[in-house]
Amino acid sequence: MDLNLRLDYVLGEGWLAPYITGLRDGCAIAARCTACDAVSFPPARVCACGGRQSAWVTLDGTAQVIFRSTGMDGDFALVQFAGASTGSIARLQGMAAHETMGRIAPALTTRPGLVVIREGADFAP
Amino acid sequence: MVAVAGSALTPFGRRKDHSSFRDWAAEAFFGALTMADLDQSDIDTLIVASESDFFSLQLNPASIIADDLGLTGTMAFRVEGGGASGQLAVHTAVARLKSGLSRHVAVIGVDASASTLPANQVKDLYSFSFDAWTDGMNGASATMLYALSFQDFMARAGVGVEDLEIVTIKNRRNACDNPGAHLPRRHDPTEIAASPMIAAPYRRLHCSPLSDGAAAVILSRVDALPGSRRTAPRITGIGAASDRTNLGARPKPGDFAAKRLAMHRACAMAGIGPTQIDAAEIYDAYAGSELQSIAALGLSEDLRGELHDGAFAKSGRLPVNLSGGLMGQGAPAGATGVGQMATCAMLLEGRYHPGLQPARPLAHALADTHGGICTTSALTILSQPEAAWT
Repeated sequence: MDLNLRLDYVLGEGWLAPYITGLRDGCAIAARCTACDAVSFPPARVCACGGRQSAWVTLDGTAQVIFRSTGMDGDFALVQFAGASTGSIARLQGMAAHETMGRIAPALTTRPGLVVIREGADFAP
Repeated sequence: MVAVAGSALTPFGRRKDHSSFRDWAAEAFFGALTMADLDQSDIDTLIVASESDFFSLQLNPASIIADDLGLTGTMAFRVEGGGASGQLAVHTAVARLKSGLSRHVAVIGVDASASTLPANQVKDLYSFSFDAWTDGMNGASATMLYALSFQDFMARAGVGVEDLEIVTIKNRRNACDNPGAHLPRRHDPTEIAASPMIAAPYRRLHCSPLSDGAAAVILSRVDALPGSRRTAPRITGIGAASDRTNLGARPKPGDFAAKRLAMHRACAMAGIGPTQIDAAEIYDAYAGSELQSIAALGLSEDLRGELHDGAFAKSGRLPVNLSGGLMGQGAPAGATGVGQMATCAMLLEGRYHPGLQPARPLAHALADTHGGICTTSALTILSQPEAAWT
């Protein structure tokens, strides 16, 4: 039996809306825990300390590559954004293998993913 | 106390015979029922482990499987936890049996991961099995996330890319003696090194395949076992735990911390330590994740040394993935954990495939799964009653 099924989702952004809007704009919007000041990016609803109250903060957008992997789907890395207490998984765009510092760029597609480009590069991919 | 009264697996692989997941579930169920020396009318609970409706296009699969198997009237439901679905279904059954709510539970794991959708579409679906709102939107594949986790592990644990080939060769070679395996292969290092890079350091041959298949176990209260099955293997320990989904939020992204916690819980219940495990079926979604798992489970104090000495090989101190594991036997997600249970039970009873059954009696076996990058860990310790060997 052959069956073709097309699904068009509309996903609610919910509590993550500021973070996702930031990705579209090329801004790193993180959550700062009001109890311990830890900054999570991507934001955590509940902090590792157990705190449930947080405030949105905008990071300066620079990131250091910790581990990098290249493959069929492109270049990705575990990166550490300046000012964040946690790491993030980002798609690398136009960063050579030896480059370890980058900054956030607007998401490249309609899917609001986290993209990091070489520091000093233009936003345009 | 809970016993594994019966167990069975279908072959794992890419089915091209126009059969469906319903056929595979039936084959596994009736095979397990026969071994258990029970009739379907004895079964009071059906638990189905299945990772995704996308594969089968059947929502509420437990209802249709119960109908197919003549189990109308039983309590029938599904348990899902990604790659850990099968073990979580077993744990749910154990809780019901130990509480007295059930006497005989059929646990069926089944997924059609290979034949119903193109591989690139399955890959896209799997990318939403992590945090769909963050990593999923990046387009980071499962292989990519596992690769980044393994890079952290390499940096901390003293293992290297070259160690991946030992795991790959071992598991696929074990699969050669498993007639139901998806990828029985005798690889050489050159072939592995020449396979395409999927996400560094993982090449195609370091990865488990997408598979179709089913597995079933009949779990029974010991006081309800038929006389012919009174020495069936016991479930002596279960443990499960979770971790942060975002790798970057973990103190050590390469450390399967949830697995360590789950193992501690299972060992405490079983009253044994990790070093008393005699054989282990471990969740080797990738060659490196087998090494990460062995480390987190506390199964070796010298991981690299024992790997190179053959401790985890078929004739070693602790055979790991005699079935071939996910890499060799295959990986129909919902069936994986249940299949591990079946394999461990048959190993303990001395009735596994002749080319893989260790000559020495086994007292304890470990079935280990996880979902995500070990975001959800679920594992089970099985033990053979002493009476079986006397």
